[in-house]
Amino acid sequence: MSKPSDLTYDAVVIGAGHNGLAAATTLARQGKSVCVIESRDGIGGMARNAAIAPGVVAPKMAHLLYNLNPKTLKELGITAPKSVSLPTVSLADDGRHVVIQGDLVIYADGSAHPEAATFAALHKRLTKFAALLGQMSLKTPPSLAGGLMDMATLQELAGLAKLGIGLKRMGKKDMREFLRILLSNAYDLILDDFADAPLAGMLAADAVRGAYAGPRSPGTVFSMMYRLGNGGDVRLPMGGMGAVADAFANAAKLAGCDIRTGCGVAQVIVENDTARGVILADGSVINARSVLSSIGAFQTMQMAGVQHYDTEAVRRLRNLRNKGTVAKVNLVLSGAPDFVGLDAKLTAGRLLIATSATYVERAFNPVKYGDMSNAPVIEAVIPSLSDPSLCSDGQHILSANVQYVPYALAGGWTPAARQKLLELTLDRLEVYAPGLGRLVTHSEVLTPLDIETQTGAPGGHWHHAEMGIDQILTLRPVNGMARYGFGIAGYYLCGASAHPGGDVMGTAGRNAARQLLKDGVLA
Amino acid sequence: MGKHSSYDAIVAGAGHNGLTTACYLAKAGLKVLVVEKNDWIGGAAVSRSLHDGWTYSNCSYVCSLLRREIVRDLELPRFGLQVIPYEGGASFTKDGDYFAYMSDHDALRREIARHSSKDVDAYERFSQTVIRQCRFIRPFLLRNAPDPTSLKPRDISELLFLVKQAHGLGAKELGETLRFWSMSIGDFLDEHFETDLIKTHIAGAGIIGTGLGVYSPGTAYVLLHHYMGDVDGAIGAWGFARGGMGAISNALGAAFEEAGGEIVMGSGVDKFLVKGGKAVGVALENGDTYYAPIIASNMDVKRTFLKHMDQGVLPADFTKAVERFKIRGSSGKLNIALDSLPKFPAAPEGATFMRGDLHCSASLNELERAYDDWKEGYWSKDPYFDLLIPSQIDPTMAPQGKHMMTVFVQYAPYDLNVDGVRSGENWNDATRKAFADCVFDKIEQGCPDIRKHVVHAEVRSPWDIENEVGLTEGNIFQGELTFDQLLFNRPIPGYAQYDTPIDGMYIVGSSAHPGGGVMAAPGANAAREILRTIGKGKLMPKFAA
Ligand SMILES: Cc1cc2nc3c(=O)[nH]c(=O)nc-3n(C[C@H](O)[C@H](O)[C@H](O)COP(=O)(O)OP(=O)(O)OC[C@H]3O[C@@H](n4cnc5c(N)ncnc54)[C@H](O)[C@@H]3O)c2cc1C
Ligand SMILES: Cc1cc2nc3c(=O)[nH]c(=O)nc-3n(C[C@H](O)[C@H](O)[C@H](O)COP(=O)(O)OP(=O)(O)OC[C@H]3O[C@@H](n4cnc5c(N)ncnc54)[C@H](O)[C@@H]3O)c2cc1C
Repeated sequence: MSKPSDLTYDAVVIGAGHNGLAAATTLARQGKSVCVIESRDGIGGMARNAAIAPGVVAPKMAHLLYNLNPKTLKELGITAPKSVSLPTVSLADDGRHVVIQGDLVIYADGSAHPEAATFAALHKRLTKFAALLGQMSLKTPPSLAGGLMDMATLQELAGLAKLGIGLKRMGKKDMREFLRILLSNAYDLILDDFADAPLAGMLAADAVRGAYAGPRSPGTVFSMMYRLGNGGDVRLPMGGMGAVADAFANAAKLAGCDIRTGCGVAQVIVENDTARGVILADGSVINARSVLSSIGAFQTMQMAGVQHYDTEAVRRLRNLRNKGTVAKVNLVLSGAPDFVGLDAKLTAGRLLIATSATYVERAFNPVKYGDMSNAPVIEAVIPSLSDPSLCSDGQHILSANVQYVPYALAGGWTPAARQKLLELTLDRLEVYAPGLGRLVTHSEVLTPLDIETQTGAPGGHWHHAEMGIDQILTLRPVNGMARYGFGIAGYYLCGASAHPGGDVMGTAGRNAARQLLKDGVLA
Repeated sequence: MGKHSSYDAIVAGAGHNGLTTACYLAKAGLKVLVVEKNDWIGGAAVSRSLHDGWTYSNCSYVCSLLRREIVRDLELPRFGLQVIPYEGGASFTKDGDYFAYMSDHDALRREIARHSSKDVDAYERFSQTVIRQCRFIRPFLLRNAPDPTSLKPRDISELLFLVKQAHGLGAKELGETLRFWSMSIGDFLDEHFETDLIKTHIAGAGIIGTGLGVYSPGTAYVLLHHYMGDVDGAIGAWGFARGGMGAISNALGAAFEEAGGEIVMGSGVDKFLVKGGKAVGVALENGDTYYAPIIASNMDVKRTFLKHMDQGVLPADFTKAVERFKIRGSSGKLNIALDSLPKFPAAPEGATFMRGDLHCSASLNELERAYDDWKEGYWSKDPYFDLLIPSQIDPTMAPQGKHMMTVFVQYAPYDLNVDGVRSGENWNDATRKAFADCVFDKIEQGCPDIRKHVVHAEVRSPWDIENEVGLTEGNIFQGELTFDQLLFNRPIPGYAQYDTPIDGMYIVGSSAHPGGGVMAAPGANAAREILRTIGKGKLMPKFAA
């Protein structure tokens, strides 16, 4: 199926992150010829692996699966790698660590948790609501184009009636509760029912994961539910997150896509207000009948040329909120660490340092002023405990998402600042695993700025654009551009900054490609 | 045994909303009693003389939200209400500069240009957006919030009204409206302006009275809540009620009494009496009991249901919903008697903008940090304040040649943190003094010799406001203005139309839609609901009908 570059593809996809690959696969499986262009040498974007030391493979950035939808996988013909469901351990300063799996909560020593029933009830309520939001994530957001009274809009809204019907089925009481909490803040929701301890901390941390927001920020209940779209299971993919990206790439190749790595797109060719292909950094030209971009929304606009957009659109895209707050710290350990009070199974779990909702909020404070948290929220996992293939010679890899870390650190990301971030992270881990520091043979620190440099994601943001309530659904990435079509005929946004947003799930790419087909671009 | 008597309706609380409800009911011919715990009426819209010769607007201090329709219906000017607009305002910086807001358009453009020529255009865009959002929201203030879960024709017609209003906006604006409602005021201003001082001058209106920071989503709406009013039709304008904010309540009180109403002061409701799921009357603390088939509570929902009603009579999940209703105190207030007009050296002599709202905050981060202190239970070390000297415009507030200053302070916690213990009881003379000192230090940034002019000062913490006015936790709006507590969610989902689980019992204060401020809309809307329920809807006067 591979074509020489002077031929015209049906579509060129910019970026071989998993969303770009999902978009490409969706089109190719409909018989379209597709070429994916990736600037880096390897595919996967934020979901790739890296050999960070001899004999050690680490999930470079993303490490756990929360939202990968089996329906999407099936539709794209993806055979995902095996994965294991992990318990979450919310570490406690008094050693009474709390273990959460699905809707079950106990203490790490096996004793009953007094809030277990409360948690189960909340989990049930939220997953029910989340399932409704989940339905929406597989759809293009409704257009407001004709105003609310327009026929097309009404039909769009009728398409959402499924959601409405779902709502009605919930009964009045549930529906009222849904409408009350939808836009509210996680902190209040949690502390209405829970003591401010590690269980509350876990709920708060999950509500703000990847976000430029603290649990007290309104809108964080939405992000909390977003994470529960598939029931809230946390899974560790065997072979690292890179294996998941590889599965996306394999499906793309199987469907007949060309994937070219090592030279990025410099410019999108626009003729008569229609996307006609791309020019690569090395000057080579690839012609196509349509172009899909999985890079940041503002960058996607720049790629085609700002002159094609009206000033309103340019202003909106420039104002897109995308300050990353998560750093990645990968530690190579000479042996398995010893977390006090955790057995082998729990040590292999998702380890959270978020001892209370207040702890999480306090961690957020400094980032507002360009500082990093002195006591950050950490989500750590030691994938090599579940998946020995990742490391040789008894070594282990500890993969940690550290939040909150500013993109633009006051004073800049000097070597000293990175060292400080590493030490802060180690200090926090040492509290629960004394001696861990001595096991570290190699470390890698990726600040949001590094993440931006390495993936092109604006601000190094987890979702390419903040998932605030002013930037979701019909407003994602910006008002007037939420339906994947990106201002120019045949030009589509298909990465995390499009609806429904980031995380490793491939939905944005899949939705964008389907909308392109529906719009008749390749008819 | 105390007194017993019967009425058609009893209103518990003589705040301005309670009085508004009472007026409408009395004008419709009902025999109405208002009971008030204090020896004066007005609640948080009150003028009091605490130092000889001076009058303080003890709580609320400026007027804009008060709905014109209600003023007209109840003929309040005839009862002495006069609102005098003030113009301008300023924010002073530490280094002797300031940004002045002026209502003269050209003067304002010149002043903005002095800070940034880019911001001149930004301001035009900003004010257009805000005015558009105000136009959108104003029609909803005197309407019920439709219940989206209901299929009742009235709810559907209200929803259709909303759709029609929204349709009028057009596609892009509709999106912008959704966005505006969900944004933080900080992000909104950052999108428009480059000058931090100008942003900060505007941002205050997004946090006044709330437990949110300038970068918390939803604060753009709070700004709107402060801009959607008007004085004599000038949208967004603010004014002084001549004689202080109590003039509004006093006019309402007089209108009520002219319509045949009766007010009993000096003893509060101890219990709302309920029999067989129906409200039947109120028992006062002094032992008096009054009966009526209609009981309207002007108190906030928490006070009404958790303090003054037997728990057994309420459905458990309703009680739970009331318990989790968020009503956090976040504001303090200083009312100050001055021996003369204090000087702000940075301002030109005689500048008219000095008659408006004055501030000494210069950056959004400063405001955000002020919020961070509050979250931990401290008053802001570097507080934001809204300072005015109304006696410059209204000479009745102070003796000749002397002045009255009102300083609204954001943020001050209700449950003050002292050595790790958070409690309202930590507010005492010593902490109040320390709080006032902190505010005076900040005022000195703009007005270095302020302390020399002080003749008397009333210092009020949220704890004090709760104890005097009965606003739970001292929350000025009778409940936070966040999405989960606005429109059909206010105060309690399923009970957003002034009704309660108790037959004949209504919520008529700011806890109800459309919320706090001296607006009188909850009181008027509730009266309309009450009259409709008893089949007298036609007796609602035309403007607020
Ligand atoms: C530190 C960190 C940890 C995370 N952890 C998790 C996690 O545990 N679980 C989870 O579900 N999610 C996690 N996420 C989020 C998740 O990884 C992302 O939301 C998701 O991978 C985004 O996928 P994407 O395909 O949309 O974009 P990306 O993965 O960013 O892919 C974009 C691709 O475009 C390429 N590109 C950029 N510019 C050009 C150009 N000019 N020409 C050609 N190609 C270009 C990039 O190199 C990249 O490969 C994490 C994110 C971060 C930053
Ligand atoms: C410090 C401060 C500054 C403010 N500034 C402004 C401003 O400048 N502009 C503006 O528009 N708004 C302002 N507000 C908000 C505004 O004042 C209030 O939202 C509004 O006045 C509330 O009116 P209400 O009638 O709903 O309730 P309230 O005024 O609270 O009335 C409740 C009444 O019930 C009475 N009561 C309580 N318990 C009992 C009982 N058990 N029995 C009988 N009676 C009882 C109280 O004494 C009170 O009179 C401010 C508020 C505060 C506290």
